[in-house]
Amino acid sequence: MNNITLGKYIPLNSFVHKLDPRTKIIAMMILLIAIFIPTGFVGYGIIGVFLLISLISSKLSFSFVWKSFKPSLFMLVFLLVINVFLIKTGDVWLTIGSFNLYSGAVIQTVYIVLRLLLMIIITTMLTATTKPLDLTMGLEDLLSPLAKLNVPTHDIAMMISLALRFIPTLLEEAQRILKAQASRGVDMESGSFKEKIQAILSLIVPLFVSSFQKADDLADAMEARGYVVGAKRVRYKQLKFTFFDFITLVSTSGLLVGLILLRVL
Amino acid sequence: MSIHFEKVDHIYSPNSVFEFQALEDVSLDINIGKITAIIGATGSGKTTLVQHLNGLLLPSKGFLTVNDFTIKADEKPKNIKELRKQVGLVFQFAEYQLFEETLIKDVAFGPKNFGVEEKEAEMIATRALITVGIDPKDFVKSPLELSGGQKRRVAIAGILAMSPSILVLDEPTAGLDPQGAKSMMELFKMLNKEKGITILIVTHNMEHVLEYCDEVVVLEKGKVIMHTDKKQFFKNDQYMEKASIDPPIIIAFKKMCEEKGVTFDSDVLTIDKLVSEIVKKRGRR
Ligand SMILES: Nc1ncnc2c1ncn2[C@@H]1O[C@H](COP(=O)(O)OP(=O)(O)OP(=O)(O)O)[C@@H](O)[C@H]1O
Ligand SMILES: [Mg+2]
Repeated sequence: MNNITLGKYIPLNSFVHKLDPRTKIIAMMILLIAIFIPTGFVGYGIIGVFLLISLISSKLSFSFVWKSFKPSLFMLVFLLVINVFLIKTGDVWLTIGSFNLYSGAVIQTVYIVLRLLLMIIITTMLTATTKPLDLTMGLEDLLSPLAKLNVPTHDIAMMISLALRFIPTLLEEAQRILKAQASRGVDMESGSFKEKIQAILSLIVPLFVSSFQKADDLADAMEARGYVVGAKRVRYKQLKFTFFDFITLVSTSGLLVGLILLRVL
Repeated sequence: MSIHFEKVDHIYSPNSVFEFQALEDVSLDINIGKITAIIGATGSGKTTLVQHLNGLLLPSKGFLTVNDFTIKADEKPKNIKELRKQVGLVFQFAEYQLFEETLIKDVAFGPKNFGVEEKEAEMIATRALITVGIDPKDFVKSPLELSGGQKRRVAIAGILAMSPSILVLDEPTAGLDPQGAKSMMELFKMLNKEKGITILIVTHNMEHVLEYCDEVVVLEKGKVIMHTDKKQFFKNDQYMEKASIDPPIIIAFKKMCEEKGVTFDSDVLTIDKLVSEIVKKRGRR
């Protein structure tokens, strides 16, 4: 449980941490689009180098990124198995009995793995270097044009920030309940199917109960402090766009344009 | 039968920015058959310490032995289920662990996990619920219908139903009304006296330590700075100050008297004794 790194903010002091959250969100979107431009391994190599440089300048460790990637390993193995049986293009690389392994299957799988790895690095970099509150503030700003169309951007941003705010709390709570139930002899790892169901219930039910309770309390606490849904609010902290943000945006856009050119030419 | 900590360190999230050493070089022998209080300021490592006792946390360095079990660094003890049966651990705010539809089912959950038959488990559960003072007509209620204090009792019953020989309670009376807290402490005293259960209580309440406990362990910043019997502990209040804890009212009273030149014997730890001492002193004048 302690190893869950998904969406966790890591307080470090780096160039990437100091960027404006809006910059980081836009850069993330640009990079995600870049991944889906089919330029083969060359393109992935370029994006990979770009991300490597950003990763180093963000001071995050590689093991941290690896931990975020690990949960998807199972899915990838599953994908590999399916691809191996279904894709029958390219050359035959290996024959076992009546079964042929095609190069297409392997290459396709490697593509997917690379794509997923890059996506995880990108999103992890965003959430690990940006405080949840800054993230929502940036998101709200970026969505603000929609407010003219009567989209409740502020409420959406508030909901997202609350959801993000409660991820660690929920994890902590889940960990506590897991321990409490383990003390009552629950064994999450072994046991029959029926016992496993029971074990999961013993975690989920208390977690739900306390989440609803927390949501209730939070709503009361917000109202007690004068929060009104849809009311106009001003901000204490202002976002600042600096020269470094400019550089970051220019270089990521440059990367995207470069990849598109690579594809077209 | 013994509980022994040998040079135990515990480090949370090692090798990361969240790394935190919560226990440092803890060596400790808990006396069997006694009620031991574990005190210390918030964040001093009390919860971390007691969660080692049933193998929920493993030492980062050093080891501990509990009865016949050895809990070492980086290696789950063999037969951990049996260990958890022998060491019943009640969590801080234990009421949040209830999940079954009825109280009786929830309390029977523990014994069933340890292989007791359904019927038998429910009988054990009934006894446990009566022990903690739940009204039998509430047994088939949902845990959600109870008050916080009642839920806490049910959670404790859930642990008692496993008939542990060592009972560990993490702040069992926090947030209860004084009367409810008192009757809960009486319950632990009774379990200790009548069933000979070894009890460890994490608490911030010095009145409870004075009235119900035999021994005191003081933690400060992850280190055990004192382990002694109750009388010794209340003799020098500098440790209470160190652990940022208010002394019990009777100790505070004695101290004030001493500042004015009236001294009492250090054995005087109950109101009754204090009153008769005062009467004696007056008679002498
Ligand atoms: N899962 C965890 N990861 C990192 N640090 C932790 C974790 N759990 C506890 N700590 C830290 O370890 C220290 C000791 O925590 P512990 O819960 O043992 O304190 P405590 O003495 O029980 O305090 P309290 O009286 O508030 O319950 C605290 O400083 C806490 O921040
Ligand atoms: Mg605690």
